[in-house]
Amino acid sequence: MANAAGAHHDEHHDHYPSFFSRWFCSTNHKDIGTVYMFVAMFAAIIGGGMSWYIRLELAEPGIQFIQDKQFYNVLLTAHGFLMIFFVVMPGTIGGFGNWFVPMMIGAPDMAFPRMNNISLWLLVVALLMLLISAFVEGGVGTGWTVYPPLSNSIYHPSPAVDFGILSLHLAGASSILGAINFIVTIFNMRAPGMTLHKMPLFVWSILVTAFLLVLALPVLAGGLTMLLTDRNFGTHFFDPAGGGDPILWQHLFWFFGHPEVYIIILPAFGIISQIVSTFSKKPVFGYLGMAYAMAAIGVVGFVVWAHHMYAVGLDVDTRAYFTAATMVIAVPTGVKIFSWLATMWGGSIEFKTPMLYAFGFIFLFVVGGVTGVTLANSSADLVFHDTYFVVAHFHYVMAIAAIFAMFAGWYYWIGKMSGKQYSEIWGKIQFWIFFIGVNVLFFPQHFAGLAGMPRRIPDYPDAFAGWNYVSSIGALITAVGTLLFFVILIRTYASGAKAEQNPWGVGATTLEWQVPSPAPFHTFEDQPDMSGKAPAE
Amino acid sequence: MRNKLKMILSALAGVLISMGPAFAGPNGDVRSSDWQIWLQEPASPTADRIVAFNGQLMVIETLIVIFVMGLMAYIAYRYSAKNNPVPSKTTHHVGLEVAWTILPIFILVGITIPSLKHLYFADRTPDAEMTLKITGNQWYWNYAYPDQNNLTFDSIFVPDDELKPGQPRMLTVDNKVYLPVETNIRLLMTSADVIHNWAIPSLSVKLDTVPGRINETWTRIHEKYVGKTIYGMCSELCGVNHGFMPIAIEAVSKEDFAKWVKQAQAKFASDDPKANVIVRLASAKVTR
Amino acid sequence: MANVRQKNAKTAVVLFSVVAGMIGLAFASVPLYRIFCQTTGLAGTPSIRSQAPEKATDIDFKVRFDANVNTELAWKFKPLQKEITLKLGEERLAFYEATNLSDKTITGSAVFNVTPLKIGQYFVKIDCFCFTEQALRPGETVQMPVSFYVDPAIYEDKNTRDVKTITLSYTFYPVKDEQKVSAVRPSATPGNKG
Repeated sequence: MANAAGAHHDEHHDHYPSFFSRWFCSTNHKDIGTVYMFVAMFAAIIGGGMSWYIRLELAEPGIQFIQDKQFYNVLLTAHGFLMIFFVVMPGTIGGFGNWFVPMMIGAPDMAFPRMNNISLWLLVVALLMLLISAFVEGGVGTGWTVYPPLSNSIYHPSPAVDFGILSLHLAGASSILGAINFIVTIFNMRAPGMTLHKMPLFVWSILVTAFLLVLALPVLAGGLTMLLTDRNFGTHFFDPAGGGDPILWQHLFWFFGHPEVYIIILPAFGIISQIVSTFSKKPVFGYLGMAYAMAAIGVVGFVVWAHHMYAVGLDVDTRAYFTAATMVIAVPTGVKIFSWLATMWGGSIEFKTPMLYAFGFIFLFVVGGVTGVTLANSSADLVFHDTYFVVAHFHYVMAIAAIFAMFAGWYYWIGKMSGKQYSEIWGKIQFWIFFIGVNVLFFPQHFAGLAGMPRRIPDYPDAFAGWNYVSSIGALITAVGTLLFFVILIRTYASGAKAEQNPWGVGATTLEWQVPSPAPFHTFEDQPDMSGKAPAE
Repeated sequence: MRNKLKMILSALAGVLISMGPAFAGPNGDVRSSDWQIWLQEPASPTADRIVAFNGQLMVIETLIVIFVMGLMAYIAYRYSAKNNPVPSKTTHHVGLEVAWTILPIFILVGITIPSLKHLYFADRTPDAEMTLKITGNQWYWNYAYPDQNNLTFDSIFVPDDELKPGQPRMLTVDNKVYLPVETNIRLLMTSADVIHNWAIPSLSVKLDTVPGRINETWTRIHEKYVGKTIYGMCSELCGVNHGFMPIAIEAVSKEDFAKWVKQAQAKFASDDPKANVIVRLASAKVTR
Repeated sequence: MANVRQKNAKTAVVLFSVVAGMIGLAFASVPLYRIFCQTTGLAGTPSIRSQAPEKATDIDFKVRFDANVNTELAWKFKPLQKEITLKLGEERLAFYEATNLSDKTITGSAVFNVTPLKIGQYFVKIDCFCFTEQALRPGETVQMPVSFYVDPAIYEDKNTRDVKTITLSYTFYPVKDEQKVSAVRPSATPGNKG
């Protein structure tokens, strides 16, 4: 936000509104994107802090710090909610999506600027409600999956769970409105000649993500409403005492929950595609294959949900189907990985910080992807379900991978967003610290999981002490890497070198590199015309 | 070609599997040991298959990771801006794109077919010689033997300060559940309150206990585990003390099992069911 | 510009109706899930028919009985027989016994399923105490019948042919809404199908 003050004496003659109306009543996609990223970073500090506190507790066997075991459950629940709904989604979709989707398709702004503002502030309110829920009468200790009966009024009588549910309702409404805004913008507001098959892959990724949001989130909203009425108004949707079925909640939740993990990772795919192409100085290899692989992942993502429920007591044919269907997902994700490699093959690669993060992303995604193949097997799930192997898997493939994409995107676009360039050497140091940190943190969790350590426990048998200790050291290194990022962020705004219009050279071909840095308040003086041009990337 | 591949795979898997026995738990008990990096030793026919299958999977997956890492390392060296100043313009190669779509499909089919065989084996309902009924409670397990005159007892976590020397921390319970070896045992599971999960890694048993319905699976403990204790832990978040409801199975010979049943019936007979119900209602109120 | 606005509004309306449709689908899933389980036998849901086939086969089969009481309900509840050996297609009657341990009249209702989960559609109930709510006076003990048969088709389905034993399980819950309770039944005696 440091650029708000500095922007006034810049060379372009935009008229900026006052501080309050610029940042609180904003209808400008770039300002809204900036606030989204601010929210994401704020939530990341809290959610990350929670995970470091959890690792501190788990560093040694026995109870060291968290005497209240309910509070431990609250921490892991809130960590999940915060990281999913208030860090990754606002960061990739709200932040980078808002900033660069209109710019990349040559649109003046989002289709519904005021609705964009509503989405933003609904999310902020949702975040506040979630934080309140953690501190109301015992908090929400149900895990992010909120499985009844544990989440019903008998076993979680405090209003904390109701706060949590309402928070998710608001975050869901925010995301649905945002998704509709993106779809309408991408469908109707593209510059002349910018056909769907010319759109940059980041725009494609946001389009597919937006469709997943529109289809999946209402199901969560419906399920949450039933949970709320079960808790407060005596209905029995999920209560066996009244003829309901707690397993139905799991079906509804995971019908949303599985597409949700693609909602998290697809925008990351988009960011990585842009970066790999830019720094290899080559267009994306197999552009159409890449775009339709994302669409395929989105479609298949809706028919694999019960692989989260192998242990619940599904009959064997159902599990066989979900095993086979889940395996299918490995095909389009494989296409993505090989296409990135082929994009780099024959390129002239510059290892700037964003490209290091893209390499790191591919590494994490491949490691997490192959363990995903293990977990797809309902038979192997008999030993892996709910162990640390699962924790290691999803942090590799989706959580830390998405964080890597966000760091990559930040280093890639910060010049365009702030007009200031980060320090390359410090960016690289930050990458290596963070990369080593997360691997030391999460790789040993594979071993703990193979040896049989269950998730979500504040204390463990002494045999697991070794790998947990290593893992906690990794958390410490990761923490140093994260703090260094915030130092770099502040230094960039305070004293970064002035960013050029295109700092990355011939590889950066998308439209955002054809406007000045920082991007002017109104992006395009004339609408760009893409007729007759090759696919942007 | 295919046979050769299979041979190599199973040889590599053999190396991994041979690491299994290395991870027998302390005192010969069946639980994890310090710095363990592989599955616990298999103690049932299902676990034999799952451990072997996981070994094969891990070999395939490690090879894939090494392959991709190798490509990335080569690309990083060969196509760096220094070594390759002029980028190529190639953006399509139909053959390559088809290959990297088709090849993974073959690998995945190769994984899925044995996987489904193991799945159906683990679900097979062999003629069970006895039944153990497991009821999850916040936060202890209740075991019932309907074929042994409905012998019933609770199995409750022993906290650190009450442990006797030699008892493992976080895994010890007051009453172990006794099961005979080399016996097909039907496991029925349900819950009295929230969803729990009765999980024994070395038996490859992991099934939710869901209130209002019953789930069924089976197991058969190998003979060599007579006199050993097999450990497991609750594997579904079930509230405050989720981490503190371990499972301990004492594997015994059929003769010893019969003897134990007699003793246990005397020991647990004094439990008046009515008193039991009232005690549980009271405890339920307190914990909520 | 006006043109784009109209188009935007139109697209948004379509998308909002998709959202509304998905919310509707979430709620529709409640009855749909129940119907789906009942017709396919998913999750060990038994079938319900009015009568058994006229001719039973001579294939032996075992049915075991299991009983549970929710902790909120001060009842004792147990099957009167551990297991029954019957022929496929043969209709049989089994009894459960419930005792009210409290000093109040309490109404309960039972939920049920059969295992292995895959055979739900082949276990057929003809009549069952679980179809209605049961009210027990203080200290009262009643025997409650269930009549059923195992569909011989279980032997023709290659997925279920290996099954030789079915377990039928009930869990009694207290009925929360006391208004709906039917009067204390006089019919909860052996031989009467409740």
